[in-house]
Amino acid sequence: MKTLKAGIEQAWLPIILVLVWWIASEWWWHSTTDPKKVFLPPLSQIWGAFVTEAASGNLAANTFASLRNILLGLLVAVVVGVAVGTAVGSSRAARMLLNPYLQFARSVPQVALVPIIIGAFGLTWLPKIWAIAIACVWPILLNTVDGIRAIDPAVQDMTKAYQFTRPLKLVRVTLPAALPQIMAGIRVSLGIAVVVMVVSEIYGSTEGIGYFINYEKGLYRGPETWMATLVVGLIGYLLSLAFLLVEKTTLRWYHESAQ
Amino acid sequence: MAIVDTAPAQREKADTRLIVKDLGKTYVTGKDAHEIFRGVELDVEPGSIVSVVGPSGVGKTTLLRCLAGLLPATTGTISVGGRMVTGPVPEMGVVFQDYSRSLLPWMHSRENVALPLESKGVRKAERNRIAEEALAAVGLEGAGHKYPWQMSGGMQQRVAIARAIAYQADILLMDEPFASVDAQTRFDLEDLALDLRRRLGVSIVLVTHDIDEAVYLADQVVVLSGKPASVVDLVEVDLGTERDQLTTKSLPAFTEARSRVLRQIRR
Repeated sequence: MKTLKAGIEQAWLPIILVLVWWIASEWWWHSTTDPKKVFLPPLSQIWGAFVTEAASGNLAANTFASLRNILLGLLVAVVVGVAVGTAVGSSRAARMLLNPYLQFARSVPQVALVPIIIGAFGLTWLPKIWAIAIACVWPILLNTVDGIRAIDPAVQDMTKAYQFTRPLKLVRVTLPAALPQIMAGIRVSLGIAVVVMVVSEIYGSTEGIGYFINYEKGLYRGPETWMATLVVGLIGYLLSLAFLLVEKTTLRWYHESAQ
Repeated sequence: MAIVDTAPAQREKADTRLIVKDLGKTYVTGKDAHEIFRGVELDVEPGSIVSVVGPSGVGKTTLLRCLAGLLPATTGTISVGGRMVTGPVPEMGVVFQDYSRSLLPWMHSRENVALPLESKGVRKAERNRIAEEALAAVGLEGAGHKYPWQMSGGMQQRVAIARAIAYQADILLMDEPFASVDAQTRFDLEDLALDLRRRLGVSIVLVTHDIDEAVYLADQVVVLSGKPASVVDLVEVDLGTERDQLTTKSLPAFTEARSRVLRQIRR
């Protein structure tokens, strides 16, 4: 009974919003002659498009391609970002030398690099993964550097006094200590990954949900365009949820010790 | 390898005498030279407790860090068991003042205690066994699964002490270890230190600003004073190894030693 009540408390607003949207958009669409209505379809048609495309397998194939690109791109970004970030964060000389360049690189809007990458490397899925990785690596790398720098000197003293070997120190002390910052960087990268994924697919692609959006828009099919856009939003949302779950588990000590 | 079985006699045979000769530390920044302390001589026999006491900021912590190998000394030598040492050594375990910052919050206390052993290459089952024994030795039996942030200050400091013991250190270097706990807990931890010396035969070099504590625990009180700091007095404390918060502190020998130390610090 309690979970039902909690469920209703969570769900009543979204349900009402959807109903309002459904009814209002249906009424407006049938009563107007505004040419813009092509791209402002009623929710009922958007739903219809979803059912059709899902049944044909078209939606699934494109969604899968996009998800694959995001996840692989993020994986590369995490590995490179943490590895390089750890190296730079641990070396005062490296930090002082590279800081201006790192600050410059992170300020370049990563989306602006997409045309160059696709122009140089082509329309296939691999260049997209590079584009996503290059865009996503900066928040992770810079956060890793900050996380490493912020490690308490008392912890450094302890590892020195007890003669910790370097591999042990890195794996059991340095990385866990920097993990809260690293996770914050990854969280930012998630948003960037979705954006770069869509942009790269709109710009030049033969598959993917971004490609799908652009293709349907080109055919003036409003409901399909909207449906795919909503799917992108859903992808972003689900990725955040999944990440939150991972963060809750790995950083349980961090959240609980803060109380 | 059971630590609680190591009798004091065995430790003496292992010769873990800490001898410090003419130790000095000067910080040089550009053209400025800032001398912290000079000419410090110590002789810590196996199984003895030496307190280092002095006014705030005199350089007690700097001295301890030099002994621990965390800071290179500018002059003088440090030797353990006849061997010269210039950095951290396995014979010495350090207990820092701020326990909450030297214990790792992502590990529970048993993992924290066992971690230095992992660095030494000890196998997992053996590590855990030693860690459990060390926790029991400091009175934290069964608390191994608790995280540092789930424990009180006194318990956390016990974990830090257990870590030094599990490391199989023969000499414990403690930097104002009981300064951050309340008075009651401080008495309990002081008695724990005495207990560890009695049962395990470890030597202890304890830096403190608390004169009562310095005299209560020590066989020898080293008084550091001046700018630059130097050893202004070496007080032998003859109160035996069986000490008690109530009775020992009311002995005339205690009051005498205490007054002498206080006088030296205030000069």
